[in-house]
Amino acid sequence: MKILSPLDSKEEVEELIQAGVDEFFCGLLEEKWHEKYPVISINRRPAGKGHFRSFADLKEAVMMAQDHHVPVYFTMNEHYYIDEQYDLVIDYVKKAVDAGVAGIILADYGLLTILSDLNLPVKLQIGTGGTVFNSQAAKFYQKTGASGITLPRHLTIEEIRKIVQNSPGIEFSVFILNSRCVNVDGFCTFEHGLSDKSFLPLYRNACMLPYHISLYPQVSAEERDMGEIIREHRFLERQHIWETVHVDDHPCGACALYEFKEIGIHGMKVVGRGNPLERKVKDVIFLRTLLDRLEKERPSLPEFRNSVRELYQSTYSRSCRTHLCYYPEVRETPA
Amino acid sequence: MKSMEQALFISKVDSLKYYEDTDEFARLYFGMEFCERLLPNVDDLKNVINFVNEKKIGLTLVTPYVTEDGLKRVERLLNVLNEQKPGSEVVFNDWGVFHLLSDNYAGLVPVLGRLLNKMKRGPRLMNVLDKIPEESVRYYRSPGITVPKVREFLLKNRINRVEFDNLLQGIDLERTGDEIRKSLYLPFAYITTTRLCLTALCDQPDRVKEVGILPCGHECQRYTFCLKNPIMIANLIRKGNTIFLCNEDIPDNLRMFDRVVIEPEIPI
Repeated sequence: MKILSPLDSKEEVEELIQAGVDEFFCGLLEEKWHEKYPVISINRRPAGKGHFRSFADLKEAVMMAQDHHVPVYFTMNEHYYIDEQYDLVIDYVKKAVDAGVAGIILADYGLLTILSDLNLPVKLQIGTGGTVFNSQAAKFYQKTGASGITLPRHLTIEEIRKIVQNSPGIEFSVFILNSRCVNVDGFCTFEHGLSDKSFLPLYRNACMLPYHISLYPQVSAEERDMGEIIREHRFLERQHIWETVHVDDHPCGACALYEFKEIGIHGMKVVGRGNPLERKVKDVIFLRTLLDRLEKERPSLPEFRNSVRELYQSTYSRSCRTHLCYYPEVRETPA
Repeated sequence: MKSMEQALFISKVDSLKYYEDTDEFARLYFGMEFCERLLPNVDDLKNVINFVNEKKIGLTLVTPYVTEDGLKRVERLLNVLNEQKPGSEVVFNDWGVFHLLSDNYAGLVPVLGRLLNKMKRGPRLMNVLDKIPEESVRYYRSPGITVPKVREFLLKNRINRVEFDNLLQGIDLERTGDEIRKSLYLPFAYITTTRLCLTALCDQPDRVKEVGILPCGHECQRYTFCLKNPIMIANLIRKGNTIFLCNEDIPDNLRMFDRVVIEPEIPI
């Protein structure tokens, strides 16, 4: 299994490879996109940190990574583009290919169709925005030109197993660390980062804003007794959960590495374009340690789960929490 | 001027009562876009087929995004539809469902669902619309089918209808061609959806912090939630695993659509 890490600049390449990265993914934002689309992303990341700033830098980073046989994938994974954006979009893709990237990560069936027709010398991979919840969807993308797929966050381990078993010839990746998005990425039409951090109501993720929540009126208050109203008030508590926790407070799915190895998952994706290098390195070392244990020590399932939980606590100074567990069904396995 | 067809969208057989109130609908949409657990069963579909046959109106089966197990349930519905009402439309919101349709059901007509017509819908957009460049505004108002090669791909795959939500920022359908027909859903527009359903188990306070793909007792059929924040121009409505907004304003360019799909209830 490969560790897929975000990469934001050429300065990060060496340290992350030393930490144990197998593949990189990255994005790039130039001024000519930003001036027309200051709050619209080209690659699912708002302007600001988390992007290369020039293709010259990207080329240098790709060459450094290639020296270690580590491929770099380029994200063009906005959910859709419109006609007048395509000149810029295709220009980006061609320059990224010239810079030596190994593949393009995308989400839009339209862009996939167009890039397939261009016969570029790179792999085309469907990111989580492609919403592949079943093997027929995987086959659709395969037929349209994709060779790899990152599955959505919202699948159980057993659902992932069935998709992989029924989809020969496709490389699958799964999420393993960071940003446990509340909603299905590829179906979420909220825009985040509509301003800079100086105005948080527009900057923050819409799913984590504080809301006043009430029951949508179906029955008038006069028709209900007080006991019912109090009981309903308790139902509302659960609806506030994403205001009280942060979806990027070290969510983790590492316990499932055991099953993912059995299933034949190609890559484990560490979310985090824009994270500080220190955090990226810590994430990669955490996963590399666990993968090495899995490969070399061949632990039993309970032994492995136990070692994951201990290492998670010592690495991140947090205990496991259900709402930040990517695959909460693993918590049913005793450590 | 194009003729405008009106369709009624129901997600439960009980909601057929909305049809009986009026005879202006030429088509019935029936099914579920957001949750495979709420897919109708085969008997429900047979009842609806009998209903549309009796009323001599068209039928559109609506399908959600589905797991491998959900796909089998969709397949059972497609088999019944193909056998008992060939020529019917199937709205797909999952490319896997489309692939199945494409390979095995030449007698059914695929329609690209609104979940796959990925325009931005979050009401916060309205706060910045007058502060961003015109290219950005055009992006927010325009669909992916402005791209000729996208339209070509859809038509080559027998997809000649695309479903639209009624967006607060408006929809610009110039440069989308006439070959692809467009339906407009009124008044409920979906904004986002999840399988980490917060309505499931909501009436069990001891499980308040549990978030996952949880067992469900169809709590969504009992509780709906209204979410308000001053930055949101419209209130958000959470029903089941999905957040909607309600936009009853009829767009100025309604004539660009040839079908209006009326949702008498939030379609969950």
